[in-house]
Amino acid sequence: MIIYASLAILAGILVSLSRQINGRLALSTSAMESSFWNHIVGLVFITAVAVLVGGLFAGEPQASPWWAYLGGPVGVIFIAAGSWLIARIGAAQTALLIIAGQMISGVVLDVIMGAPGNLWARVIGVGLILAGMWVAHGGKKA
Amino acid sequence: MTQPLQTTSVLHFAAAFGTGGLLSLMVLFNGTLAAYGSLFFASWVPHLTGTVAALVFLMIMRPKRARPARPPLWVYLGGVSGAVTVMLTSATLNSALALSGTIALGLAGQMVFSLFADMRGLFGLPQRTPVQRDYLALTLIIAGSLILIFFGASR
Repeated sequence: MIIYASLAILAGILVSLSRQINGRLALSTSAMESSFWNHIVGLVFITAVAVLVGGLFAGEPQASPWWAYLGGPVGVIFIAAGSWLIARIGAAQTALLIIAGQMISGVVLDVIMGAPGNLWARVIGVGLILAGMWVAHGGKKA
Repeated sequence: MTQPLQTTSVLHFAAAFGTGGLLSLMVLFNGTLAAYGSLFFASWVPHLTGTVAALVFLMIMRPKRARPARPPLWVYLGGVSGAVTVMLTSATLNSALALSGTIALGLAGQMVFSLFADMRGLFGLPQRTPVQRDYLALTLIIAGSLILIFFGASR
């Protein structure tokens, strides 16, 4: 259990590390070029590991709906945006606002798709996040 | 160059928040792929289509290089870090941590390391010292996120 908890924390650290490295690359090149290198280097790495481990095409990937394949282009914009933002507002602010956006849009998606959930937890959770964003933005012209 | 975190402009603020929305879409799309194919496949496909999409965007936008000098080679390794993340989370998802524990601990790791990186100005990025307001905002947003993760939704 401790091992899995450490791996989950490490995964979070790597998210931030990846954004910092890509942000540094964007400082020398551009946010979109940084996103391109992130994807092609990641592709080569995953392909190599998948060839070693096997099972890349296990299951029924051909049965998945066509829109599930749209994650790639969305991810390109996601990485480019993160690389652009981190040099401008810092790693912590970038991470915090992306988390806020992910959480609130996640609730909206759940509501749209009719996923069951606790109404009060959603109201309090979204309320706290909005309050946090208000605080984060409040001192802007200080 | 020390600059407090609170100088975020409305544009940066909205862009970061919207970027979080993109992440929700990616989780939905890639998670659907994982439901039909392997976890490798669910990470391999978006990297493949993303590489093609990025090439197309680059050809259309033709962004200028910010600096003429070549950056050090390690700056090209961000994609490896991102790919390892997928493999780690696919391991922890199937442990007792499940999705909620994986996300919650991931948020913790991400925030602590981000704050540390800002304070030190790691990897050639601007150094920033967080102020009290930043910690208050962080507490509120993480508290709200944890409530949503553990009590809000069923997935």
